Amino acid sequence: MKTAYINNESFPIQPGDTILKLVRRHFGKDFVPTLCDAPNLDPFGACRVCSVDVALVKDGPAKAQASCHTPVIPDSYIYTDSERITRLRKNIIELVLTDHPLDCLTCEVNNNCELQTVAAKVGIRDVRYPEGKNHLDRKKDLSHPYMTSDLSKCINCARCVRACDEVQGEFVLNMAGRGFDSHIIKSYDNNFFDSDCVSCGACAQACPTSAISDVFESKSIVADKKVRTICTYCGVGCNLDVAVVNGKVKSIQAPFDAKVNEGHTCLKGRFAFSFYNHPERLRTPLIRKNGELVPATWDEAYDFIANKLTAIKTEFGPDAIGGISSARCTNEENYLMQKFIRAVIGTNNIDSCARVCHSPTALGMQRTFGTGAATNSIIDLQSTDCTMVIGANPTDAHPVTGAKLKQFAMKGKPTIVIDPRRTELARYATYHLQLKPGTNVAMLNMMLYYIISDGLEDKDFINSRTEGYEDFKKHILSFDINDLEKITGVEKELVRKAAHAYASAPNAMSFHGLGVTEHSQGTYTVMLIADLAMITGNIGRRGVGVNPLRGQNNVQGAADMGCQPHQGAGYLDSYDPEINAKYSKFYGVKIPIGKGMKIPEMYDASINGKLKALWLMGEDNVQTDPNTNHVIKAMSNLELLVVQEIFMTETAKLAHVVLPAASFLEKSGTFTNGERRIQKVQNAVEPIEGTKPDGQIIVEIMNKMGFSQSAYDPKTLLEEISQIVPFFAGVKWDELGDNGKQWPVLPDGSDTEILHTDTFKRGKGKFQVATWKESEEIVNHGAEFPYILTTNRELEHYNCGTMTRRTGNVEILTDDVLLINPEDASKHLINDGEMVCVISARGKIDVKAKVTDEVKAGVLSSTFHFPEVRMNDLTSSISDSEAMCPEYKVVAVNIRKSKGKYKTLINEM
Amino acid sequence: MSENLSELAGRKDFEKNLFEEFGKAAAKTGTLSSDDLERLKEEFLVGKSSVFGAVSFYDFLKPENKGKKVYVCNGSACLTAGTQPKLISKLNNHFSKDEIGEMCCLGRCHQNSAFHLDGKNFSGNDVDEIESIKSKKKNTSEKYHVGSLGNPVLIVPSPEVKDYYTIFKDCLKRDAVELVDELKKSGLRGRGGAGFSMAFKLDSCRNVKGETKFIVCNADEGDPGAYSDRYIMEERPHSLLMGMMIAGYIVGAKYGIVYIRGEYPESVEIIQNAISELRNEKLIGPNIFNSGFDFDFKVIKAQGAYICGEETALLSSIEGQRPEVRVRPPYPTQQGLFNKPTVVNNVETLANLPFIMKNGGSTYAAIGTPKSTGTKLISLDGHFNRPGIYEVDMGTPLRKVVDELGGGFRIPIKAMHIGGPLGGLVPVSKIDSLTVDFDSFAKEGFLLGHASVVCIPENYPLIAYIEHLFRFTAHESCGKCFPCRLGSTRGYEMIDKARTSDYKMDKALMNDLLETLETGSLCALGGGLPLPIKNALKYFDDELSMYFKL
Repeated sequence: MKTAYINNESFPIQPGDTILKLVRRHFGKDFVPTLCDAPNLDPFGACRVCSVDVALVKDGPAKAQASCHTPVIPDSYIYTDSERITRLRKNIIELVLTDHPLDCLTCEVNNNCELQTVAAKVGIRDVRYPEGKNHLDRKKDLSHPYMTSDLSKCINCARCVRACDEVQGEFVLNMAGRGFDSHIIKSYDNNFFDSDCVSCGACAQACPTSAISDVFESKSIVADKKVRTICTYCGVGCNLDVAVVNGKVKSIQAPFDAKVNEGHTCLKGRFAFSFYNHPERLRTPLIRKNGELVPATWDEAYDFIANKLTAIKTEFGPDAIGGISSARCTNEENYLMQKFIRAVIGTNNIDSCARVCHSPTALGMQRTFGTGAATNSIIDLQSTDCTMVIGANPTDAHPVTGAKLKQFAMKGKPTIVIDPRRTELARYATYHLQLKPGTNVAMLNMMLYYIISDGLEDKDFINSRTEGYEDFKKHILSFDINDLEKITGVEKELVRKAAHAYASAPNAMSFHGLGVTEHSQGTYTVMLIADLAMITGNIGRRGVGVNPLRGQNNVQGAADMGCQPHQGAGYLDSYDPEINAKYSKFYGVKIPIGKGMKIPEMYDASINGKLKALWLMGEDNVQTDPNTNHVIKAMSNLELLVVQEIFMTETAKLAHVVLPAASFLEKSGTFTNGERRIQKVQNAVEPIEGTKPDGQIIVEIMNKMGFSQSAYDPKTLLEEISQIVPFFAGVKWDELGDNGKQWPVLPDGSDTEILHTDTFKRGKGKFQVATWKESEEIVNHGAEFPYILTTNRELEHYNCGTMTRRTGNVEILTDDVLLINPEDASKHLINDGEMVCVISARGKIDVKAKVTDEVKAGVLSSTFHFPEVRMNDLTSSISDSEAMCPEYKVVAVNIRKSKGKYKTLINEM
Repeated sequence: MSENLSELAGRKDFEKNLFEEFGKAAAKTGTLSSDDLERLKEEFLVGKSSVFGAVSFYDFLKPENKGKKVYVCNGSACLTAGTQPKLISKLNNHFSKDEIGEMCCLGRCHQNSAFHLDGKNFSGNDVDEIESIKSKKKNTSEKYHVGSLGNPVLIVPSPEVKDYYTIFKDCLKRDAVELVDELKKSGLRGRGGAGFSMAFKLDSCRNVKGETKFIVCNADEGDPGAYSDRYIMEERPHSLLMGMMIAGYIVGAKYGIVYIRGEYPESVEIIQNAISELRNEKLIGPNIFNSGFDFDFKVIKAQGAYICGEETALLSSIEGQRPEVRVRPPYPTQQGLFNKPTVVNNVETLANLPFIMKNGGSTYAAIGTPKSTGTKLISLDGHFNRPGIYEVDMGTPLRKVVDELGGGFRIPIKAMHIGGPLGGLVPVSKIDSLTVDFDSFAKEGFLLGHASVVCIPENYPLIAYIEHLFRFTAHESCGKCFPCRLGSTRGYEMIDKARTSDYKMDKALMNDLLETLETGSLCALGGGLPLPIKNALKYFDDELSMYFKL
């Protein structure tokens, strides 16, 4: 083994060691002082404070080298604190202090400032230079709802510039000018608010002083405690360090040792937490009396609910009752919810919001692989050679994974984006297949066609690991490629190139989002994605696989815990008598075996009078589910609608009973992220007065209705879950550690990064065929409504915005907009920023136009973050033929310039 | 340096270059409009700050350059000769104050006075003919001596292009390894300043796998006082171009980029013409001489930043990034231009290759000394009786250069600043101790560098000269590393204060500052500044001690 000497003592070297890495490994992080170095950034070599002496012989002639970027020479002698090095460090810091304010006592980062620490360590007592030019009069930038800067404190280490670039993949920050005048700028030397800043906060976290920080002063050390927990927004599952002062959340940072997010997170995770003690939080149960929701005690509410449910159950049977669980809640809460519905109410009418996002993923992957979960881990991006992103806009919807995908694409590595919109990722992609919405199946068939006809299949993999290939091949080759080209609207040669890139990469990894699932052919599309992985042998090792980007923090977990009618906890078939007996024994009561209803079926049943009561845990179906009027009708027809919520949502307004729940910052449990990682959610603060964790509410109603269930406690619940969910067998609260575990977790506690390494869950992988079919929506309404509206998400808001609209995010993105191609805009005389009336067969809405070539002519796109616009008035009740996931992504519409009050509204602005 | 920006800049084909686009956009007004910035950042998929930050770095792109019409040379030779105030006062008759800018060294050091107008360079005396310059009647002609002592390699007139390139044709018949061996035998060391082995550099790039590689010629001869590279580009352009082609063949690079400083407009034009000549003769392009080897050139005109002479800053410059010095590793031969393997070499180094390939490495090695083989071009400023470009065998006594070639000094001289602003300050008393080669200079505590010679007249105050060196470094510092960014400015301020008030400098502080710059700086700019200052403090203590505390 190669070694080198540090202060004349020999130490082993590892390949790729810089001097700094070597020294830190053996002497700790702070042994050699640094200023421009940061744990998640490349070596930069600017501050030179990390210099050490390096000699080729013991005590021989030495050369000063910056240790951060100098590789270790085997057998060299490193002297970390020679007299001259000590002097050098002191002299550099003295120079830095000639242009730095000496107001430490009133500085945000007092006692948490790297410059202060290093200055103390090198022992500066005096600044000997005569007063000269300086930058102490720079003004603070307080323009932004979150980001702040005070560049008089800047030491030009460029950590912020590099964080923006190397971590987030943006170029908002840079240096301008040169020499002594070089200084940090934002965009065209704008303030933070006017710049292109995506507010991820990576720069603030990277800054060693308080030159860039945030309004929450996340770098000050006043916190009483820091609690590590998991972000409640998307399925990336970022770890967060929540600083708490006087029982209130002060600020949030991202821990560097987090496997998922490695010191990074987005503006939602880092800054959008102030909703939790917003004045509008629900703080008492409400019961509808004489048409009004009026405050009630918990006991009154429970009595009311229990009586009503019992009455309905007695009169109409348990199947007149349904429950919809929440992918925003913990595993333990989801487990309890389905247990409550099945074991206490006695029906399989349990579903969750996974229905409206990734149910086709679960089903499609179960049919092909046997398991409906991501096959690989996000860390595999480091080992893949090609990425394919289908129907997903990760830089907005999954920002931390999105940033990693963008980094991959920006490096010029083969990236295929299949999306009707020119997303941020598509701008940097090698191939952007900008297909017509609703033609995913045709597009993937084109790729499969070229892979087969050009002989790029992985025959060994197909032979040894799959079944059904010959029929599949015959089916694929029967397509007329020119027909498919016409259907998708994408030039076939481009598709061929993309197919070749995916098939010929040593390791190719696919990702998909709701642009795949929220279609009438969602499940078929997922199966074709799985087919693509199998036909090219991209399964079962690092850097490959099929990886759904989960929309909600715990959509994986909600499904894992059994919140769907046909599968109970652990995906066991709830309609199988043997399994039913097993569940019945486990829960200690007879579990129903009859078919349960999925969400859309529940709506229909309510309208038909068959469903009498519905229990919603943390979901705003009215705003988020398609065809709003249909949903409202269903909700209004119920005899009992119970809603557990943190705010008075559009759905809660229709409830008979509203139960005030605690937010993620106020409770504990586990979330399972998109890569099957079960991570610990730990309460940072106590639930605000009057609220309870969702799990506790369910426990209390279970007890009220005569089922003995102990108080909500993640540790004991996980113990219970581990006995019934096979892939949770070895999950123990106390052993989850900081970074959680990826299921399946074996009884011995070992976890799994990659699925299907030797065999598929179902044995052999099954090729499934699919033929493109025009959506009913277009068939029925296309002639009358010639535009296709698709729906998307913006970075700043999360789904219907219940939480993010109650944070500073609303100052950054103020409303929903309609993306419209310049050609279409000019045809209808619509200018950027004007109101557009959008009409579908269901309804019409008015929304502000954003003229952009992000969408092709004939295609429109918008969000539903704001209740005012009611985008889902337009969407249809058509859903995926297999999994019943609604078709949010294809809506036939027509447009015209708004008239009446909307026109005046815009004119007044 | 941003790996992402390097990659994005490299996505466009060879023809479209972000940095060139900056130059084109600024051509009309002297800087870029906000529309230009917006267009370019969209086209190259970079950020607003990426383009704004890069543009603001360069003297000839930044907003302050808007409306500048004429530029006065403020290089060291013009400064010590004291010619420029008079020139400026004459220019004031024709231009407003805001229209007059500065350029650091137009390379007319043989005249000790120069200015730049309408994209062309003129000697100071031409100011009297400004009307004919404006009406394009006056050309940019200049005269300087060219001569040699010993075995001339570079100044020898080259034959007709077609005949001359038979050397390259012969190279194509040989294996690249053989050519590397020839180079090894020649002992050729880089003439840019560091004196690094040329064979080693080419060989290491050759051994890096890569479809796309680049040969970059560093023709950003920014050292005030040096104009030997300009001489080669303008008088022997094909030696340089063929040298690049040979290097390209050795490492497997198809592209050659000549990065020429904006202060040398004539060089840019002549090199471009020479490339056109090669294109017309089908000596470049695909499949040269049916060898299967492709090669083509691109000339990039720089925009006013001395630091771009540092090879990694130069690469960032070509990429349209801020030309800040990069850390090594990765070395350019591993990950250079657009993140691809790249050889960066100085003009004079590359211009030696045709001779070596034609006559063999051993023939070349026979010239000069064992450790410093071959010849060296020397630039003499107008303080010599015979100013000009001279080629001498390495190892030639400096005395011979001064007396025999330069014809002695025109006026009394106390020191010569040899090797650019970061070279050593050689007192005339040391002339007889030095021979023109890397080792002799190093041994005596000086630096051969680019072997440019700027004389300091007896009556020119040394305190003013070292202030100039600090100011030059402060102006040209890229601002990345702390010692150079802060130290050069603080040093300048101290000297300025000592010159203009009763403030006395603290010797210990000055020594600390020099040591910090020397041992702490990231590149040779901050790291090299202390050498001439220390020489001055050592040899001219009697003149400088009055500015220090006792």
